[in-house]
Amino acid sequence: MQVVWLRSSLALRDLQAFIQHTVVYCKMDPKLKKTKNSSSNSANSPDSTHSSFPFPDEVLERVLSFLHSHKDRSSVSLVCKDWYNAERWTRTKLFIGNCYSVSPEIVARRFPRIKSVTLKGKPRFSDFNLVPQHWGADVHSWLVVFAKVYPFLEELRLKRMTLNDESLKFLATSFPGFKALSLLSCEGFSTDGLKAIATHCKNLTELDIQENGMDDLGGGWLSCFSENCSSLEVLNFASLNSEVSFDALEKLVRRCKSLRILKVNKSITLDQLQQLLVLAPQLIELGTGSFQQELTPLQYEGLGIAFSNCKNLQTLSGFWEDTSLHLPVLYAACPSLTFLNLSYATLRSGELAKIVAHSPNIRRLWVLDTVGDKGLEAVGSSCPFLEELRVFPADPFEQDLHHGVTEAGFLAVSHGCRKLHYVLYFCRQMTNAAVATIVQNCPDFTHFRLCIMNPGERDYLTNEPMDEAFGAVVKTCTNLQRLALSGLLTDLTFEYIGKYAKNLEALSVAFAGSSDGGMQCVLQGCPKLRKLEIRDCPFGNAALLSGIEKYETMRSLWMSACNVTMSACKLLAKEMPRLNVEVMRDEGSDESQADKVYIYRTVAGPRRDAPPFVVTL
Amino acid sequence: MEEMELQLKLALSSNLDEGFDLNDHNEEQEYDRLMKKKRCFDETFEEIKNVQVPRTLPLLDHIDLCEEEDGVVGWPPINSWRKKICHHYHHNSRRGCTTPTNYVTVKNGCGGGSRSNSMYVKVKMEGVGIARKVDLSRHHSYQTLIDTLMAMFANEKVQGYKLAYQDKEGDWLLAGDMPWG
Repeated sequence: MQVVWLRSSLALRDLQAFIQHTVVYCKMDPKLKKTKNSSSNSANSPDSTHSSFPFPDEVLERVLSFLHSHKDRSSVSLVCKDWYNAERWTRTKLFIGNCYSVSPEIVARRFPRIKSVTLKGKPRFSDFNLVPQHWGADVHSWLVVFAKVYPFLEELRLKRMTLNDESLKFLATSFPGFKALSLLSCEGFSTDGLKAIATHCKNLTELDIQENGMDDLGGGWLSCFSENCSSLEVLNFASLNSEVSFDALEKLVRRCKSLRILKVNKSITLDQLQQLLVLAPQLIELGTGSFQQELTPLQYEGLGIAFSNCKNLQTLSGFWEDTSLHLPVLYAACPSLTFLNLSYATLRSGELAKIVAHSPNIRRLWVLDTVGDKGLEAVGSSCPFLEELRVFPADPFEQDLHHGVTEAGFLAVSHGCRKLHYVLYFCRQMTNAAVATIVQNCPDFTHFRLCIMNPGERDYLTNEPMDEAFGAVVKTCTNLQRLALSGLLTDLTFEYIGKYAKNLEALSVAFAGSSDGGMQCVLQGCPKLRKLEIRDCPFGNAALLSGIEKYETMRSLWMSACNVTMSACKLLAKEMPRLNVEVMRDEGSDESQADKVYIYRTVAGPRRDAPPFVVTL
Repeated sequence: MEEMELQLKLALSSNLDEGFDLNDHNEEQEYDRLMKKKRCFDETFEEIKNVQVPRTLPLLDHIDLCEEEDGVVGWPPINSWRKKICHHYHHNSRRGCTTPTNYVTVKNGCGGGSRSNSMYVKVKMEGVGIARKVDLSRHHSYQTLIDTLMAMFANEKVQGYKLAYQDKEGDWLLAGDMPWG
């Protein structure tokens, strides 16, 4: 039974306004009984079976099925029991930011109709070798439960999880409708596991393998796709090194007419790439293979034509190895590009300048610091719509100051690209004044990640700490969600953060601060803080315990090489039973020191798979 | 020399004497395998003989112990994947090239495209995960080449190593067996 007034083409904006209005109204009167005219879209629904609401279950569920954001769904589920139930029946996408915050069984009980799962595991600092091997985050126990409860699971997206080939085989054979697999920064598996996926998942639309700690035993997995497989839309194997059968790849691309994202690996040569482009001019995202090869003039021309025929191309990446030779073939495709990832190419300023001159519509640009300040100047003058810039270091362990980019490059970009809101910038020198100017030019930063590569580096002109730089950032950029600090910083930086960064959700701190006061300012001042990761700072027990009330509102806290002791951790664990307080000790350190502390909220209790070196208090 | 596929390899002379056949190994696989393992001089010989690829050993293990990271663990904050790429660039820039250079892998012909006369080839040393590159066009004899390579690999103990290369048929030959020209 559908209530007549509910249009099936309800605009999402109207829907959200409707829900917000109703949520507000219900919160005003929690004991709401049967009422008429309860909202702007009031219903005549004599058939309503609710005691609290004028809408039948089916209507509410239909309405809620338009909601996709997991944050919105979370809010909706908190309104009242009926809404909680309606929400859980209509949720099809599951997002779990910390795999240990909940258990597979709890999830299975609450959500009966899940088709897509995103799971994140290890703490982010594991990317930088701060988390020992065999820490956990194994996906297998999740898969076992999913196989029972969600046999129609279609998508699995894992980040920083551990999985082995047996798990991949289990996945491939347990879910007949499985469509999309995405593995980012995972570890423990090999290309044999990929063979299982390619072989058994007959309806695969997406295989996205990125930056994993996996064993590449050969490219034979690609040949495991059946000749009937024509459903692929996304194929990304750029980070695998082994040679694949070009014949198999070519046939696959030929069959899969809906292919929109193709990112190949280094083994694919330029003339092979050209052949692929001719078969798939509909591509939206392309990752090239090796971009260096001897090309005859005819091949070169053919490649240029192939690129110019890709009218939908928005993203380009790849460019493995030195690529100066053949970049002009791209120029025809550049005007439509919105995302250009050159972060594996050691381009110089002149080469970058030429590319960006052809790419005025770029929104996101990733480069290596080999482009230098001059290259970034070219970006500033050519890319007025730039929103995101990431500059990675080609030589991060080299102390030589003459390499890379400086504050001048960043300044140049900020002058020309006023819409910049996301930056990741690795450099060797910076000044407070430059950062202040940068945020004056670009006040809309939501993500500001500055890495001055020498720990504890001062403003190189004034020799002062970098406090004022980050002070300027938090004062000016009121929408700041994510901040990563570097350079010599005193507690003043943290006072600024606590006072001004009211929208801050994620903060990353290293080699900074003077006393417990610093961390306390942040814990007390940032209401939206969800993720805090700290290493090598002089924050101790008082700082840790000052956040005792806060940690349940956050996803997690990581503290390593600080001044925290076991006794404080034990106290925290005792007071807050819904937190897991996990400690890892370094070899040879004092028994009372808590060298690495990982604290996270959970409804699943202490984890049962903790290795011996992880102590849950 | 110009006709040959140029892939050089430094190997322990004891390996070569005892019938260790470089031609047995798929080069790419070995490179990948070497990349993943922590190496020390003594272990090398054993590991070549016993080819075992640990299934769950992630790339992290090797990067952990890289010489470049002589200061702080995990700093600067670059993930293992990107660090692997960085090593490649690091050794290229160590060669002192400040102008754009064509690092063209030579296959069956004189390398270098239209812009340079350089002939860069990859050199891998047994037991060392990172390859280096050397410009053959700058050398006129095996001796100068070997001297340069020994200097490049100065971090490793280079006594007792011999230089071998792979010709266009894919066979491995000892450097010095044929005249330089």
